Amino acid sequence: MPRLAPTDAPALACRGIERSFGGLKALKGVDLEVRPGEIFGLVGPNGSGKTTMVNVITGFYPPNAGRVALFGDDITGLAPHAITRRGIARTFQNLALFKGMSVLDNILVGRHIHMHPSVLGTLFYWVAAVREETAHRTVVEEIIEFMQLQEIRHEPVEVVPLGLQKRVELARALAAEPRVLILDEPMAGMNQEEKEYIARFILDARDERGVSVLVIEHHMDVVMAICDRVLVLNYGETIAAGPPAEAMASPKVIEAYLGHSAARRQLRAVS
Amino acid sequence: MFYRQAGIRYTSYPAERQLWPLGIERVLMGLILALALIAPALLSPLLLSSYLLPWVIWSIAALGLNLLMGGAGQIHLGYAAVMAIGAYSATHAARAGLPFELSLLVAGLASAVIGVIFGAAALRIRGLYLAIATLAMQYIVDFAIGHIPAISGGTQATVATPTPRILGIPVEGPVGGYYIALVVCIVVTLFMLNLRRTSFGRALAAIREKDYAAEILGISAFRYKLMAFWTSSFIGGVAGAILVFCYYRSVSPEQFHLETSVQLVAMVIVGGLGSVLGTFLGAALILLAPLALSALVASLASSGLPIGSDLRAHLPLVLYGALIVGFLIAEPLGLAKLYDNARKYLLVWPFRHARS
Repeated sequence: MPRLAPTDAPALACRGIERSFGGLKALKGVDLEVRPGEIFGLVGPNGSGKTTMVNVITGFYPPNAGRVALFGDDITGLAPHAITRRGIARTFQNLALFKGMSVLDNILVGRHIHMHPSVLGTLFYWVAAVREETAHRTVVEEIIEFMQLQEIRHEPVEVVPLGLQKRVELARALAAEPRVLILDEPMAGMNQEEKEYIARFILDARDERGVSVLVIEHHMDVVMAICDRVLVLNYGETIAAGPPAEAMASPKVIEAYLGHSAARRQLRAVS
Repeated sequence: MFYRQAGIRYTSYPAERQLWPLGIERVLMGLILALALIAPALLSPLLLSSYLLPWVIWSIAALGLNLLMGGAGQIHLGYAAVMAIGAYSATHAARAGLPFELSLLVAGLASAVIGVIFGAAALRIRGLYLAIATLAMQYIVDFAIGHIPAISGGTQATVATPTPRILGIPVEGPVGGYYIALVVCIVVTLFMLNLRRTSFGRALAAIREKDYAAEILGISAFRYKLMAFWTSSFIGGVAGAILVFCYYRSVSPEQFHLETSVQLVAMVIVGGLGSVLGTFLGAALILLAPLALSALVASLASSGLPIGSDLRAHLPLVLYGALIVGFLIAEPLGLAKLYDNARKYLLVWPFRHARS
């Protein structure tokens, strides 16, 4: 359960994270620190280990070495559902919504850790469960309003357009009232307008709901615009870190994205 | 038509989440309940005891299986074994002098405990492999019952069930048995209906659809799969006990062989995975179809077609198979979906399209 941490503790701190799959070293000692109230970008070319890093933090792949701490509490090696209860929520690169359920029910599942599901509660719905359901429905309706999903709340989630599905998934993650929100490519496959919407929601979530955000994103314009700091990974190693403009201008990053000669041209242009 | 949604405005969340939001459907449900209550007065004893009573009892069992298959997405090919455990434990408990109500509880608990042990396999395996694991349960339970005289009463033996007593009052005859089954059926039905609007049901559905996404929302797949097996097996055990106490009035191993399991899976799939109404329709179709078929075959045979007795005995199984395959191809969501299509059509009739 959430407990008050010293205010100077980072929201999320990863130290020396290593993880391999068979002979492949996906992460080779990565350090990462998200400060409270920060929007932190995790970028890098395809296959650089970004999603693996998120899977390590959320407990899907326990690290081979290194520690993960949430507001000073060690959460290394906990099961994903236990980590969620400590206050981390995430979305997936490829949508992971529950088909056959309405948008509303999908977001209500996000309230799971705050509810008390039971067999008897289901049987005697009218005695107690109805009050709990109503209370949490009220919270969910606030999030629906915040994310502007009122029009589609009763639609089956699979008939909703992709851009809105991404928004529903973000709403479901916010419904858990996390302290740290991890977004794995929230804007993949979106047009400019949808991207701007999501960017606005991420900023609002940070400003109004006080969550710290770790975001994986390929759209550099968005990363530059909303991230306070970034970490650039390549082949499982940190190649740059810091404010986005600085980090992205680093020769190593340009080399990783565009190759040797591009990096040399860039250096010559600067000097 | 008589179905209309227009003009219905809700002023509270519970009102929006009521089981039957349309007034006409509430009236319909009240009518069905009233008919079910006065059925013994309306129907001949033969109709009651050989059609309505088994329909109610098999619906309870199929609802229990649908909780697992439709609700939590875990297949179970040994559900008859779950019912057998309930049937035998209730019979022995009642014969040892336990009141009937407590015997039902014993039946549910015994089935739930053993069902969870086999269900634990579901934590590691899924799909086809889980089907085989539950099939193994069917054979192991069959074997255990047949080879332990303390349970079965000896080889090929039939154990008579005592007359059920509710609060010490003996409940005799098909009418009494019918009311016991009806009460249990109503309770299980309400539970299944509520499943859709409570966090427990949503957690099961989340496990069914995407277990990794469920995990990240704080739903322990371990815990909820076991809870699904526990609850489903509990219902199965009670259904088994009701079946032998109120319908067969004795218990023997051949009542709960693999055919029965297949029949239950057929009820759930033909009726509609995850649908309560569908389960009732599926149970009715699977119970009635073989009767209609054998009547048809009998009339064909008497008109001179050469139909052997072997074929006649196995035709129902062929029919279950054909129904399952047919529904999986043509309408995977079963009879419930057919009903839903008709309902949606009537909601907007005479127009053709509308948001439902």
